[in-house]
This record gives sequence, C-alpha cells and structure tokens, in this order.
Amino acid sequence: MNMLSRPRFQNALKALALLALAVFLYTRLAGGVLFFYINQRFVAYTIFAIVGLVMVALSYRPTSRQDKADDALHSHYRLGWAGLAIVMAPIALGLLVPPQPLGAAAMQNREINVASQTRSALPAAVRAAAQKGAAERNLLDWLHAFSTSPNPAQEFAGQPVDVIGFVYHDERLGENEMLVNRFVVSCCVADASAVSMIVRWPDAASLPNDAWVQVKGVLQPGEFNGRALPIVVAQEVIPTALPNQPYLYP
Amino acid sequence: MIVERPKASSPIEGSPPLPVDASDRRMRLMRWGLTLLVAVGAVVAIFSDALRGGGAPYLYQRIQTFVTIFLGIFIEAVPFLIAGSIVSGLIAVFVDQAAIDRYLPKAALPAALVGGGMGMVFPVCECGVVPVVRRLYEKGLPLSIGVAFLLAAPVVNPIVILSTYSAFGWGPVFVGRIVFSFLIAAVVGFLFGRARPEAVLRPAVCQLHHDASHPVHSHDHSHHLPNAPVGLRLRQAFNLAGDDFFDMARYLILGSMLAAGMQTLVPQSTLLAIGQGSVISVLAMQALAFVLSVCSTVDAFLALAFAGTFTTGSVLAFLVFGPMVDIKSSLMFLGVFQRRIVVYLITLPMLLSLLMGVWWNLNVRW
Repeated sequence: MNMLSRPRFQNALKALALLALAVFLYTRLAGGVLFFYINQRFVAYTIFAIVGLVMVALSYRPTSRQDKADDALHSHYRLGWAGLAIVMAPIALGLLVPPQPLGAAAMQNREINVASQTRSALPAAVRAAAQKGAAERNLLDWLHAFSTSPNPAQEFAGQPVDVIGFVYHDERLGENEMLVNRFVVSCCVADASAVSMIVRWPDAASLPNDAWVQVKGVLQPGEFNGRALPIVVAQEVIPTALPNQPYLYP
Repeated sequence: MIVERPKASSPIEGSPPLPVDASDRRMRLMRWGLTLLVAVGAVVAIFSDALRGGGAPYLYQRIQTFVTIFLGIFIEAVPFLIAGSIVSGLIAVFVDQAAIDRYLPKAALPAALVGGGMGMVFPVCECGVVPVVRRLYEKGLPLSIGVAFLLAAPVVNPIVILSTYSAFGWGPVFVGRIVFSFLIAAVVGFLFGRARPEAVLRPAVCQLHHDASHPVHSHDHSHHLPNAPVGLRLRQAFNLAGDDFFDMARYLILGSMLAAGMQTLVPQSTLLAIGQGSVISVLAMQALAFVLSVCSTVDAFLALAFAGTFTTGSVLAFLVFGPMVDIKSSLMFLGVFQRRIVVYLITLPMLLSLLMGVWWNLNVRW
C-alpha cells in the first residue's frame, strides 16, 4: 500500500499542512509585514483564518477513544504530492523572497494618479481632506484636496507640504524632478493604485528608486504631461525608514 | 443551450461506459498540461521582458512584485475560503437531505429565483461559495438553484450590499449592481433547468448528487450521522471542511498566481486607455475584473477609483461580472463542474453583463 494513501498518514499530512499555513499567516502578522499585503481592516479576517485553520487541523488528530469513531469519520479527498506542493507554494514563495511592499517596480505597470486628476467620487474623504491643515495632509489627502478645486495649480500655490513616500523616477520628468509616491490599497495589493506628487529638488537624481523620503516644501504651479498641476518645490528631503504601514487606505 | 450529449460510446458492443477514474485522470492531465503551458508562457514573458528592460536586478524586482501581489490575493482570500469550507462541512453533517428535497423548488424558474436570493441566507463571497455549492449538490440540490446561487451569492448578500452602499451610496450603481446580478444569475440558472446532472457536474460530485436524489441507498455515503454525539459530528464537519479547503485551495492558489502574473506583465494602461467608448469600456472593465480577481466584499471600493473616468455601464459590468467570474473562481469551478460547463459559466455571465453594460450606457440617464 502506498504510504500516501494510508488514512493515518493522510490525516497527519493534512493537519501539518493546515498548521503550516496557520503558522505562516501568524508570522506575517507577528512580523508586522501583513500590511505589505492587505489593508489593515482585514487583519481581523486573517486572525479568523488562523483560528479556523488550527481548528480544522485539530479535527484530524488521531482518535484513541473508540474504534467506532474511526469508522464514523471518513473523508473522500486524498491529498497527493502535487496538491501538497501547490498548497505549500505560498509558504515557499513567502520564505524564498523576502517580504517587500510594492514599490517602484510596480509603478511601471499601474495607473499613476498624479495629484490633480479630477474625481467625482469619494465625497466624505474629500471633505475630510479639505478640513485638514495643509501640513498634515498625506499624499492621498492632497489628491482629494486637489479634486475639489477647478484650478488646483493656482489655488494651492504657496501652501506648505510635508509628505512621506517612496521615490520613483519617471521618464517624462525633468532633470531635477522626481515622483514621490504611496500606493493606495482598499483591499489587498492586487487593487493598489499609486498617488504621486511631483517634487523638484536639486539632488533628485542622487536618490534611487524606492528610497523612502520625507519631503518638506511649498506648492507651486507646474505642468506634467501637458496638464497644469501643482508641484512641490522641496526645501528639505529627509531619507526615512519604511513606514510601519507602507500603504494608504482610502 | 445545455444539451446533454451522450458519452462517446466504445465501439465494442456491450462494453461499459468510460469509467469515472479514466475521465478523471484525463481531466487531471489536461489541467496539468494547461498549468504547465501557462507557467512556461509566464517564464518566457518575464525573461524576454527582462532582457529588454535591464537584466537581473529588474527581473528580481518583477519577481518580488509578483510574489507580493500573489500573497496579497492569497492572504486576502484564505479567511473566506476557510469560512466557506467550514460552512460546507457543517452543511454536510447537519443538513438533512430530506429537507432540501422537501422545501426547495425543482421547477427551473422558481428554482433559479430562489437560488438567486439564497445569498441573503448564506453570506459568502466568490471563494467561499464554491465549496458550499458543491456540498449542496452532493445533498441533491437542483442544478438551477446551485448555479443561480453560485453566481448571485457573491453580490446578493448582506455584507456586499453594505459595502457597495458605503462606497457608492444610494444610486444607479448600487441598485443596478444588485438587480442585474440577481437577474443574470437567475437567467443562467434557469438555462440549466433542463440539463442533466451527469452532463454538468464532475463525476465524483454527480455520484453523490444521484445518491441523494434516490434516497434508497443514500445511507452509505451520507455524512449526516444523526445518531452520533454532537462532538463527533462536529469533528466530522471539520474533517470535511479540511478536505474542501485543500481541494479548493489548489485552484485558489493557481488562480492567484495567474492573476498576479497578469498584473505583473500586462500594464493597466493598456486596459484603461479606453474608458469612454460605450462598448469598449465595458469590455475593458470586464477584462480588468477578470484579471484583478479581487474579492467581491471590497471590489466596490476599487470600482470607485474608476467611477470618474469610466462609463457607468462599464463600472456596473465590473461590479456585476467580476464577482461571478474571475481567474481564481473560474479555476475553482473546475472542482465542481465539467470543463465544458465551466466555459458556459464564464461566457454566459460575460455576454449578459456585456449586454447590460452597453444597454445601460446607451439608454440610461440616471
């Protein structure tokens, strides 16, 4: 009899695989890297998943009490090597490739919402953003704020800016310019879209893609891709560590 | 539409029909072939991309992006899959087949309507609904109810209705999403009213379905165990939940990989450059919904990002079609239905929601 098809071995295998997935999810949670993958309001769901996986794994524990129970419990699904390999793939990939939030590499493939794009949606968030003081706005708040104005380039000129984001050098930008960006994640990184501001800074070229920076400066009317929009003229660009929550949540 | 085709009979007279094992094996071979093809294609695409784009560091960044998106979809979906599996296990053990037989309609039209509304009772998203439907089929659920439930439940359930409301508020998108999801699911379910289970379901599921509808020999396969102590019955339920989880997780993981691969390789701008045409925008948003494979509980927030630039009909199509069918769920369908039927289950909602989106763009001014 093939080892794989012995009921006891099957049960042990299934239990271990489920526990491995639970432990994997727990390490993401405990290591603080869960926010690289999903919106923070889904953390509770992940905790539920860990509990559920452990509960299901425990149901495969060997029965010692009565033979009758062994007869009554039966399962039809046989986990093969291929199935096991697929189920373990997330763990393998998660361990082989060190966790990293989406960054400059993902920018090339995604829509970039350079602040000033008009959006009719998100009324509540827009109102909240408009009430914030200029220096407290993050990149997403700025995007919302610009969307309320028919001519943001003029209206916001001279306002102070203090934002955090990662650097991305877009080909369409000038010599001393860079994009400073955050990804906005409503559910998981599959739906990430970037919000960006153009920053003018003499040493922009010295900052590599993906470097996290805090930018302090002043807004001035500018232009990108033929559209009028505000540009941050930086007074200070301070390298910072990766924030605990790399993404913004709408 | 769904015609039962007699199984290719063997030329030798009187020989038994194709054994279940053989067709299952062929199916598995086919699936592996397909997976391998996609994997090779992806590797070729990544490498050719890397050669153009700047060598090893670039390639590594791409792989990193792929892994992050893949794990994002997977970690997001696992809670819903395990929840669906546990519900499925509990149904297997605690729901009486006779009750399904007695209370649920068998005629195609009422069955399709009931199936379309059943999500209000079982609030599951598109990952959770598949194991639940399969289990209900094994309990003898009529085909129409199952198909309508499968397609409608990810939208027509309290959680998703609430999330859509909080994203869009009362308006055309909110109302349209719920009404059209229900209608399209009911129509597709209705079309399955005349189909024979053995032409639709996978052999393993069909066998139990058959036994359930002919209760004479049902006690052999039933997990119902009415006389066992509750603790044991619960354990049996969780055992079955684990089996379901493993079975479905394979499709979920392969589907998430495909979706992540597409997102890493296909620039979104190719799809989004076409936001305003009445027909093309609908097609683009359907393609986007299929590729992104985002859970239905939150896709409303995502659709919000397109509400300004895309036609309303196309946003609706995204919200109606996406939860019914996407890369990961259509792979998961393979665990319940025969391949040919999975093709119907993808194309019918696709065409119907396309029709809906285009009609909306041309005729509705809300």
